[in-house]
Amino acid sequence: MSIIPQHTAASLSDAWRTINIDALEEDSPLNFDTSTLRPPQSEISEADVRGLAGQVRQLLRGGDTEGALRGCLEFPVYNGTDAAKDAHLQTITEVLHSIKASEMTPLLQTIYASAGGSELLDVLMKYIYKGMGAAAPPARPGGSSAGVTPQPTGFSQIGAGRPGAGNENVGAAMSVLLSWHEKVVDVAGLGCIGRVMADWRRV
Amino acid sequence: MASPEIHHLFHNPIADHSFSADRTTVAVARDSTIELYGKVGNAFKLKDELKGHDKLVTSVDIAPNSGRIVTCSQDRNALVWEPSPTGYKPTLVLLRITRAATFVRWSPNETKFAVGSGDRLIAICYFEEENDWWVSKHLKKPIRSTITSVAWHPNSVLLAAGSTDAHARVFSSFIKGTDARPEPTLWGERLPFNTVCGEYLNNSAGWVHSVAFSPSGDALAFAAHDSSVTVVYPGGPEQPPRAVLTITAQLLPFMSLLWSAEDEIIAAGYDCEAFRFKGGEGGWQLAGSLEAKGRPGLGEAREESALNMFRQMDLRGKAKDDTQLKTVHQNTITTIRPFETSGDRVTKFTSTGVDGRLVIWAT
Repeated sequence: MSIIPQHTAASLSDAWRTINIDALEEDSPLNFDTSTLRPPQSEISEADVRGLAGQVRQLLRGGDTEGALRGCLEFPVYNGTDAAKDAHLQTITEVLHSIKASEMTPLLQTIYASAGGSELLDVLMKYIYKGMGAAAPPARPGGSSAGVTPQPTGFSQIGAGRPGAGNENVGAAMSVLLSWHEKVVDVAGLGCIGRVMADWRRV
Repeated sequence: MASPEIHHLFHNPIADHSFSADRTTVAVARDSTIELYGKVGNAFKLKDELKGHDKLVTSVDIAPNSGRIVTCSQDRNALVWEPSPTGYKPTLVLLRITRAATFVRWSPNETKFAVGSGDRLIAICYFEEENDWWVSKHLKKPIRSTITSVAWHPNSVLLAAGSTDAHARVFSSFIKGTDARPEPTLWGERLPFNTVCGEYLNNSAGWVHSVAFSPSGDALAFAAHDSSVTVVYPGGPEQPPRAVLTITAQLLPFMSLLWSAEDEIIAAGYDCEAFRFKGGEGGWQLAGSLEAKGRPGLGEAREESALNMFRQMDLRGKAKDDTQLKTVHQNTITTIRPFETSGDRVTKFTSTGVDGRLVIWAT
């Protein structure tokens, strides 16, 4: 028999490259629940979020914008239903919209300088990104950009339907979030963005 | 503060570097070779090349007393290079790993070394006299992901490891026959092999890039991908830690850190400059950069002629050449290491980075 290996159709094709070898290995990370590596987060129900939203609105009416922002940033919904998470995002967006542009930087600076302030701004950044994702209009199903999965990046103006009245609203919301984003980066630095991306606690 | 000594070795990333004890030779990991540079006058000149790995060399370490060099590579091997009159002789180490070796360091007493790997384990290697061979024992549990860095405790038994599963852990690497029974420390009293003496995670749980024990060995610091440095003060055997302090920075993540004294940590990374942290058990804070701002002869100090300015505007559409960073390193710093110590303080340290520069800093 020849020592030259026999080439078969199977060995010549590169289908073997797509075999997921991690799935075949017993103690691979694929076969392991990585969430057990981290301390569990307490679950927050939608009712709690609504209650908090009420208090925050009261503070806003009283003119205490710092208290309102702090109040909602101190209770991020890491573990909860989608409805609870969305409700909390809505509360935060409301607070962000009600704060004047000239007040943003001093407000962020006082929060950052206080104990645990860095963490609060990280939470704020998470919600800003979430808001940007949520504010993007859903892409038309089976849209023109074939082969490309539309990602809700918040900047996808292409393939998002006709530019119309709906988009203007979204644009206004986005510009508020973008200016907040700029101010937060000014105060908390690029490290803040890195932390949001590295963090396993999603809002 | 003396200005840093800058040596631009080549235009390739430097994965790791290590100085010999007399500080005249430096081993630098470049692609799949290790280059040895010797000090000639004020510059470093290429002296020798160690070829033996066939993939990227990820880490290199010179034992200060014996002069042996250990290297590890993505080809899953580690080599020990024994100095001899005719050059360095490599010996293969049986690592028994199936993924890349990522990090290697000699223990302070130089009888063992630890190799971190992508195989979710650390190989503790020691010399077996009867077989005339370096063999390894595996630290496996409870590591769940690639080991990015390891650091030895001064007693040569305890080993800290940082991992991409976001944990910094302290293990015992006690090998019967090689190690003498260690004195009890704050980390533990009885220390059979693979005892987990501590397992730490910071709040946002980023990858751990670098770990280091304090000079006394009684505290552990680790830098993670969430731009933070966390310092752990153990509370004694089987006790929760006395203090876990996290400093979150406004900067990009740190790739490497070292303790320059019991109350000072130096960290460097993606910001291309080194930063100083000061503090103690009561709290730590960022004390600023080690970079001397506004050094002459760089960037803005250069006078431009009008002709040159218009030529730049014509060619590049801008008047100023802003391709240079204001820092000494022009790219990420990957490794910093102590260079000179006096008493228990590190007075000089070295850094290498992706830009191929080797810089000697005064602290």
